[in-house]
Amino acid sequence: MHAADPPNGSSLPVVPNSAAIATENLTRRFGDLVAVQDVNLRVAPGQFFGFLGPNGAGKSTTIKMLTGLLAPTSGRIEILGLDFAQNTVEVKRQIGVVPEGLALFGRLTGAEYLTFVGRMYGLDRETTASRTSELLEFMQLADQPRKLVTDYSRGMQKKLAMAAAVIHGPKILFLDEPFEGVDAIAAGTLKAMLQRMIARGATIFLTSHVLEIVERLCSHVAIIDRGQLVAQGSLEELRAGVEAQAPGMTSGGKLTLEEIFLRTVGGTRSAEQELSWLG
Amino acid sequence: MAGMTVGMQSRGQLVAIAQVRWHIFVHSLRTTKGALELFSRIVIGVIITGGGVGGAVLLGVGAWYLVSHGKADGLLLLLWPVFMFWQFFPVMATALTETMDSSELLRFPLNYRAYVLVRLVYGALDPATVLGSLWLIGITMGIGWARPTLLAWAALVLGVFGVVNMLLTQMVFAWIERWLAQRRTREIFAVLFFLLIISFQLIGPLLSRYGDQSNATFHQAGRVAGPVQAVLPPGIAASAIASAVNGRQTAALLLLLGLSLYGVGFLRVLSVRLHAQYRGENLSEVDRSERLARAERVRAGWELLGLPGPVAAVVEKEFRYLSRSGPVLLTFVTPIVMLFVFGLGGRSGPGSGFLQHWPELALPVGAGYALLLLTNLIYNNFGPDGGGIQFYLTSPASFRSVMLGKNIAHLGVLAAEVVVLWLGASLLYRIPSAGAVLLTLAGLLFAAPMNLAAGNLLSLYSPKKTEFGTFGRQRASQVTVLASFVIQGVVFGIAGLAIFAARSYGSLLMAVAMFVGLGAVATAVYFFVLGQVDRLALRRREVLTTELCK
Repeated sequence: MHAADPPNGSSLPVVPNSAAIATENLTRRFGDLVAVQDVNLRVAPGQFFGFLGPNGAGKSTTIKMLTGLLAPTSGRIEILGLDFAQNTVEVKRQIGVVPEGLALFGRLTGAEYLTFVGRMYGLDRETTASRTSELLEFMQLADQPRKLVTDYSRGMQKKLAMAAAVIHGPKILFLDEPFEGVDAIAAGTLKAMLQRMIARGATIFLTSHVLEIVERLCSHVAIIDRGQLVAQGSLEELRAGVEAQAPGMTSGGKLTLEEIFLRTVGGTRSAEQELSWLG
Repeated sequence: MAGMTVGMQSRGQLVAIAQVRWHIFVHSLRTTKGALELFSRIVIGVIITGGGVGGAVLLGVGAWYLVSHGKADGLLLLLWPVFMFWQFFPVMATALTETMDSSELLRFPLNYRAYVLVRLVYGALDPATVLGSLWLIGITMGIGWARPTLLAWAALVLGVFGVVNMLLTQMVFAWIERWLAQRRTREIFAVLFFLLIISFQLIGPLLSRYGDQSNATFHQAGRVAGPVQAVLPPGIAASAIASAVNGRQTAALLLLLGLSLYGVGFLRVLSVRLHAQYRGENLSEVDRSERLARAERVRAGWELLGLPGPVAAVVEKEFRYLSRSGPVLLTFVTPIVMLFVFGLGGRSGPGSGFLQHWPELALPVGAGYALLLLTNLIYNNFGPDGGGIQFYLTSPASFRSVMLGKNIAHLGVLAAEVVVLWLGASLLYRIPSAGAVLLTLAGLLFAAPMNLAAGNLLSLYSPKKTEFGTFGRQRASQVTVLASFVIQGVVFGIAGLAIFAARSYGSLLMAVAMFVGLGAVATAVYFFVLGQVDRLALRRREVLTTELCK
């Protein structure tokens, strides 16, 4: 795998063979609650990495720590071979983030927002303007130039947030639920862009509840449950692990990611319980 | 729901809303910030209650004097100030005023009457209504003290007067919010205001011409204004009580009916807005022509001489935000309105405005007031950004750059305000002398960095999400409001002492020199605080995201 072109010609001392993302005993406590405990993640450069877990398992807490939105209680984060705590600004230059809340500025137009983001990442005015124009066209957001972000639909806001996350050409992209609330057309646009980035050697780390999308896009997956990492590897490795634990449980065909996930976290889907008042 | 009347359902919904608000309040006390908010709210509540009770006693004594001395017609002298305060205070002190986001209620099966009731009840909880109500109670007690048989009638009339005031405030707020929500209506509003400013040009010479003449001119004006004010709510309320005092019961009843009609009229006009909101109105910034607009070429961001790209980007973003916020723009024009208000009444006589006596103070007073209003923005820098704070935390730009950009934008607004105030003072009074200009600039040299430094700290320690697009939703946290009282007390106290000392020695330049010295200290404090913001922001990132991404 080769790394994507560095933005603005910047060159970082990337350690050979180092992971794009690595954590060491990453832990986060909220009072007595241990949200994330001793998580040791390893994402190789160029991987499309899916980070899965049931609601409240610690996915968002982990991604927030990986992107600088939350301080770890203990443990270490290394991005592109750099210690995040020691090289905050250098690391932030190399990553793009679409957080849960999208981090948009509602009272700007889409073009103004992307221009603002580009300049905050240190791009010059001309480069920012041309990339903004390209991104708006690509994301099909160019036909309402005066519309404020606050008036965008949820899907449009997701596309804009994604455009903002890539305007500086990041080497790693962190996406928290990028396909939530997005229609099929917008999802197609987003997937096309992500696959193009992977083809150029970028690393993508995403959380999603839509397991079909993760299965189709991601080469590697990690599963977190109750704050602890319970599985990590390629889809084939996870499938083999589940089958080894419960031989004969498979129905002959390949296990889907949903089946792997349910067996790993021990969840069941039960329709037996009924709500009396719903009839 | 079967077996449940609409009335019962509405009552249940109102109780549920009250319970939710109570639970939110109780849960907010779990954090230190929540406890501090409560403490600040109590302190501010005590201050407001103190002002309310003190005012009520004074007005009560005044009412007692007027009624017991056979001058009940003079009650209008008490009711007009109450009326003016009730209507102007919410606009002048947006930091203390907050409207609820009723759009969240629309997803529930709330009928229109219940919706209106919720809006009115929330509207009744703002400081202007609380103070105004206390003062009306004081007046009622004063009247009852002077003439006990009139107590019930006075309570009825002033109760209706209070409701009329409340409805008028809410009506004005709702309509201004509507006019300022969209670019087109905002432009019309701006043109009207510009025409008002231009009209000052005529008022200035008029005051100059007639201000020095005998009181006869103003008595003449009073004779014209008298009948006009008599048909407005404060005049009608005063007349209704005076008529009862003088035994004209029929006239009193008719006047009360007239006052009630005002209330019905205000409610009717208010309900036009409320009904539109109830139907799920969305005031988009985009008008029809813009929807049809073709793709435009993307313009490069601003280039500001000597400023790094990220700082210039923040300055540009701040100006775009401010220019699209009708409520904030309205706040910026109030200092010029205050210049006009403080000069009302001509140059002579007991009712003359104090700026007519001391026109030299017009510029410094206006600039001080402008800075005071600007603290609403300065003390909660990230409030309007909301979820955008996550971008600042994940981007490589330092918080120092972000703060600097915001501070430069706010200083730009202050500078523009001072220029406009200079023009306003020149038109309304006289061209400010070089000494007054120098004193104002030197005073700002001290007060502005001091407020910016305090504001940067408060923005990190006590952030609160605010909404720039909606009128009455720019209120900072109560901790910030309380802290601003203290900071302004210190800043204006020091400034006052400097001016007092300079006057004692008869040298204005001495005050200027003191301000320059204080300004140097304040600037050093500002840069020290600016140097700390990256470290503080990193430490406060969880509070920032929790509070601003709500």
